Order: sequence, then structure tokens, then C-alpha cells
Amino acid sequence: MTKAALTGLILIETAERPAGEYAGKLLADLGAQVIKVERPSGSPTRHMGPFKAGESALFAFLNTSKRSVVLDLSSPQDRTTLDALLARAHGLIDDHDEDWCKAHGLAPAAVSTAHPNLVHCLVTPFGQDAPREWQNARPINVISAGGWAYHSPSEAPADKPPLKGAGRFLPDYESGIDAAIATLASLHRQRRTGAGQFIDISEVQVQINRVDCVLDRMLAGEAEPSNSRTAYDMGGPGTSFACKDGHIYIFMTTRAHWKALCALMGDPAWTTELREDWLEFDCTPPNVALFRNHFTLWISGQEKMPITEAAQKAGIAMVPVNTAADLPHNEQMIHRGYFQQTEHPVFGTVTCPTVPYQMSRTPVQMVRPAPVLGADQAEISV
Amino acid sequence: MTRPDRGGPLKGVRVLELTKVWAGPYTGKLLAHLGAEVIKVESATNLDEMRAYGGVDINSAPYFLSINQEILSVTVNMKTDEGLDLVRQMVAQSDIVIDNIRPGAMERSKLDYQHLKAIKPDIIQCSIKMWGNDGPLGYQTGYAPCFAALSGLTALVGHEGETPKGMNIRYGDSTAGAYAALACLAALHHRESTGEGQFIDLSAVESMTSLVGDSLYAWGVTGEVPQADGNFHPDMCPHGAYPCAEGEWISLAVADDAEWQALRAELAIVDDPRFTTSPLRLENRLTLDTLLAEATLPYVAADLAEALRQAGVPAFKAMSSLDLCADDFLWAREGYRMVSDHRNGSRPIIGPSWRMEPDSAKVERGAPLLGEDNAYVYREVLGLSQERLDDLIARKVID
Repeated sequence: MTKAALTGLILIETAERPAGEYAGKLLADLGAQVIKVERPSGSPTRHMGPFKAGESALFAFLNTSKRSVVLDLSSPQDRTTLDALLARAHGLIDDHDEDWCKAHGLAPAAVSTAHPNLVHCLVTPFGQDAPREWQNARPINVISAGGWAYHSPSEAPADKPPLKGAGRFLPDYESGIDAAIATLASLHRQRRTGAGQFIDISEVQVQINRVDCVLDRMLAGEAEPSNSRTAYDMGGPGTSFACKDGHIYIFMTTRAHWKALCALMGDPAWTTELREDWLEFDCTPPNVALFRNHFTLWISGQEKMPITEAAQKAGIAMVPVNTAADLPHNEQMIHRGYFQQTEHPVFGTVTCPTVPYQMSRTPVQMVRPAPVLGADQAEISV
Repeated sequence: MTRPDRGGPLKGVRVLELTKVWAGPYTGKLLAHLGAEVIKVESATNLDEMRAYGGVDINSAPYFLSINQEILSVTVNMKTDEGLDLVRQMVAQSDIVIDNIRPGAMERSKLDYQHLKAIKPDIIQCSIKMWGNDGPLGYQTGYAPCFAALSGLTALVGHEGETPKGMNIRYGDSTAGAYAALACLAALHHRESTGEGQFIDLSAVESMTSLVGDSLYAWGVTGEVPQADGNFHPDMCPHGAYPCAEGEWISLAVADDAEWQALRAELAIVDDPRFTTSPLRLENRLTLDTLLAEATLPYVAADLAEALRQAGVPAFKAMSSLDLCADDFLWAREGYRMVSDHRNGSRPIIGPSWRMEPDSAKVERGAPLLGEDNAYVYREVLGLSQERLDDLIARKVID
């Protein structure tokens, strides 16, 4: 069996929200020993659905490969135990607000004084120094504060609400990635210098960083910032359409795309109402609307897998809008082994999404299911 | 000619990037903003398209300037054997090589992992492609909205009951780039502890898939196929974006009865028995949303959000691009900051999402001119003589 990439690194996770737990999961799946410190009632994510046989699928996803110990951090004895854990760890991942950190002796200054060699990563909605009442922000508030909600979907109609994104925790996952990146960078410095660092991650800044080449041009005055819902859009006819058995997405920018699509549709008469080079030189809103009206009708009679496969072979960027049920059957994902069959003590065998990076020497193997509460308590009593 | 000491956690790590457009350059940016020395291999005859978008001057193209801060630029004509040999010499002096060029291009230039490993046995190479480096669909290329659609993410984003339109068309590239940076750093740790390099094959589609991993895992457990659900939340109600004056929107997320009572009081909504408990609010969600949308309508979104936060209700304005550009809080935290700029002296950029204490990496230099760092790379890093450098330039091996 190959060695995992982060073998030998020990991280303590006091985080209790998806943002911090996802950072810990990314590092645990890469082989770090991540010890999750849970309150006696268990992490709050254990109490979030969906549930099966009383167990949270969310918790099971967010905490693969981790260990669990139970500590009541408001009790001095348990707080001392945490210090003992931190003393032999390389890093700490947390995602609590200022008051909680202060109350539990985990404010940045307190941690760096007690453990100067520790990498301490703290993920919060607006970062440190944010006004107290801003600190209780939920994922929909974060994605709204960072601008993606207002601009999603593309061509958002003025009378439809901005969107929270996919699922409940999209901005948390983006923040978890940056937290894991910054933590690994800092742990690299720790290897070289022996010294610790405090890392202050702002979830909202992760959101704006992800749109750098759109928003920064506005910041620099090269593009016009506005209150338009479509300020991030690119124009053009690309969007999702309903087909017979689901949805497809099409993206077109060139004459070659258009000619190939016309051929695929059997060159219907309406296509002659548009110039052959309309995508490049005559891509007006009325022409986009004309195209969409006709295309909507045609595509509604097609099945998503055969038609997108035919389109791809013709050089058209038309793809199926895949659902959760489609992905485990996707031939490319099967080839790459993106899903692994994992064993969970309550759920049994579960098809588990893994990671987007295949690493030749240290492939990620999801062998350890999310821990039972306090499963690794014995390890800390020594 | 030596580079200034920028500090930061990746000080001393050298990255070579053969990247274009957004995902690959974003990986390079994240590593550079952490202190790595990132050298972008370019060519006047084979430009990063970002140097051409939105302007004619390849040295001040807005898209390029908005991503490539603290990146060094070296030019080399990779269509010549001598040029490729120079790239191989750069590889020999690097820790990490990143590319996101077309499938097969690295292999054709003999810059695939087998070849790079022969040059430097512990090299870490990360290749970013829409579908990854090989496999039955590996030949396909596409744009961010295509891989978002393929990934399972688009299917989960849309107004309830409508065709799922997905996130904004810009969503996807940068996240793929971020996952790539994470994998590179994990590989760097593996190299530190074992001396081994490795090849990282990153799929942009799977990057998006990973962002909906909880929904996919839940499907694997419950068998219920998740769908686009607008702003619905199974545990919070009200939860969503509500209209305010002047076309503005406010986001609200109410988790318990105390927060509901505070919201109700602030908006002067009568205490209705249909909404007193969380289960009741969820049951009567559509009625409540309609009522709430009427109640918020007269307000200025930012003011209402501030009042609600003071009252203990999580709320924030849905920020427009104009709001974001004018956000003093982000400036104060260096979420926006200034870097040098060849044309205008200085330029605002979007800073990293992290602050580190002590020893943050300095981020001060704007995107490079094409070939700006040729002298540093060829003379200092590769140790070529000035005479040799002049000759390579004269013969357009360095272009």
C-alpha cells in the first residue's frame, strides 16, 4: 500500500462548521492525522440532515479519515487535555467566532503564546477584526456578501432572487480549500524553520478572490461596476435547456460551432434567418432570443446522453447537465476512479466522491469512515 | 538582478508554469501570494490569451493584470529544440511545474512527467485539464460552464421549478486552480518527507463535483436525487434573498424562534400562529416568503441588514459589483490592495483570502511585462553568460 501524501502531520480540529470541517477533511483524506475535538453532544454537523438510521450523511461526508475525541472545552481539565494535544500537533484548525475563541482560550494571541510553533488556522465569515454582529453569518450571507449570489445564475432576471449556490454550504467548501492551502503552506514553513503562524481566513475574501479577473477589472476602472445582475456575464446564447429526459448545456462562440449545430439539427429552415457568422459578429439579444426559441423546441425532443455525444463528436460544446445519479456511471469518472465504494458502520457500502486530483505516488484512498463520537478517546488518555 | 526577499511560507519554493487563461494562472497566483517564486513560461508567438483580451497592448491587458501579480515572466520559443532545451533547464531548477495547455501538448514537447522526471527525479508536475489527463473523455476541452454542467453542480443551482441555470458563467476555473494548488502543496510535503516527486492529474470537472460532494454522498446514502432548490434550506426558515428598494436584495437566514421573533419585530410583522415554530415556518414557507418579500420591499438593503444584525438576525446585502468595489471593509483588510503597474504606477488587485502573522508573503509587484524576467531567469537561475543570452535573443530562441 502506498503512503499518503501528508503522513506524519498531526492536526487538531476544533472547527464545528462545514467550512473548517471541510478543510480538515481535505487534509485528512490526504493522509494527515486529523483529530477532531467534539463537544460531549457531538459536532453540530452530526445533528444536520439528511439522516439515515439516525446518522447524519453530512457529518459522514465532512469527516472521512478523521479521528474523534470528546472534550468539554469549558471544563479546565478537558481544556488542559486540549493543550496536551496541541503540544504534540503541527496545526490547529478552527472556525469559531471571537467570543467563543476567547471563552475557550483559543484566541489567536493566546494560542501563539502557549504554542509558538503551532500553525493555527482560523476560518471566519469576514476574518478577524470584523464587527461582532457580523460574525454570525451563514453560508447564504457569505455568498451574498461576496457577490456570487447577486450574479447567479447568469442573466439573472431583476425580479428573481439571488441564489445561495449548490446545496447548503457552497461558500464553506471554497473557504475550506483556501484554509487547507494556507495551512499546508504554513506547515511547509514550519518544517523549514520550526516556527508557527496564525492564519486568518476570510470566507468573503475567498468569494471575491475566486472572481479576480472579472471584479478586479472593475476595481481598476477597466470595466464598469454596476448594480446590474448581469455584470459578470459574457453574453452569447449559452445556457441550460430542458430536453426529453433532463437538461443539457450549450456554449457556442464561433461560426464553426454554429455550422456544426445546424448540421446536427438537420439544417432546419429557421437557421437561415441568422447569418452564418452571427455568433461572432451579430450576436444581438434578438438573435439570441430567436435562436433560443427554435432550439428550445428542437432540443426538447432529444435525449441528453445521445445528443450530447453526437454534438461532442461534431465539435459542439454541448454537454449533459449531469445529476447525482448520472455521475457514478460517467465513463471518465469511472476511468479516474473518482467515486470509491466505502464502508460506513451504519450506512453500509456508500458510493463516495473523492478528490479531483489523482496523485501518482500518493493516491487518495478513502479507507476510514467518519468516526463514531469519541472513537479515539483512548489515544489521549495516555 | 537577485529577486527581493518577499518572505512568506513558501519562500524558497520555485514553480514553473506553462499556463493560459484562468485556472492554471490562478494556481500560480495562489502559490506566488504565499511566497513561492513563480516563473511563467511565455512566448511572443504563443501568448496566454489573457494578454490579448480586452485590449491590444499585451503588456497591459486587464484580464492578465488582474491575475498574474508577483509572477515572473520568461519568454522562450518552444517551437525550437533549443527553446525546449532551455525549458528543460528551467525544470531542473524548479520544485513544481504546472500546466493547463491542451491535452497532448506537453507530451508532444517531451515535457510530460516521464521526461521531466528524467531531468529532475523529485519534480512535482501538476497538469490541469477539463477531464483530466487521459481516459475516454480526456480529449474533450471546454469552458467553465461546460464543466460546471458536467460536474453535477449546475443541476443543483436554479430557481425552484425552473431549468437549472447554474452559477454565473464565470464560476469554475478559479476553483479548479485552487484545488490544483492544494494538491501541489500536499505533494511538496510528500517530497519533504520522502524525497519523492510525483505527477498530479487534475480534472476541472471533478473540482466542481467536489463542491457538491455532500449532496452526492447523501444521494449514495438515501437514494434521493438532489435538485435545484432555489434558496430552500431544510432546517432554516425564512432562508433566502428578499427584495428591497431600488432593486436591491437582502439575504436572511433564520435558524431558530428567537431569530424569527427578532426579525418579526424589526419588520413589524404581526405575530402569526402559522409561523411561531420552525416546523410551522417550514410548512408555511411559501406564504411566509411572500409576506416577508412585501415587508422588506420598502427598505434600503444595507440599512436593514445592519439593523437586523444588531438585533441578532444573520443578514447581509446581496452585493452588486458596484457595492463590492466601494467596500471599505475589504480595503481595510487588504482584501483589495495596491501593486505596482508598468503603465499607471499602481493598480488595485484582489488580495489573498488569508492574512498570516508573522511572515505574510509580500504581494507588491503587478503582473509582469512579457519577458520582463528574462535576465533573472537566464542569467541567475540558469547561469547563462550575457553573450549566450544575447545570441539566443538574436536568433529568436528567446522571443
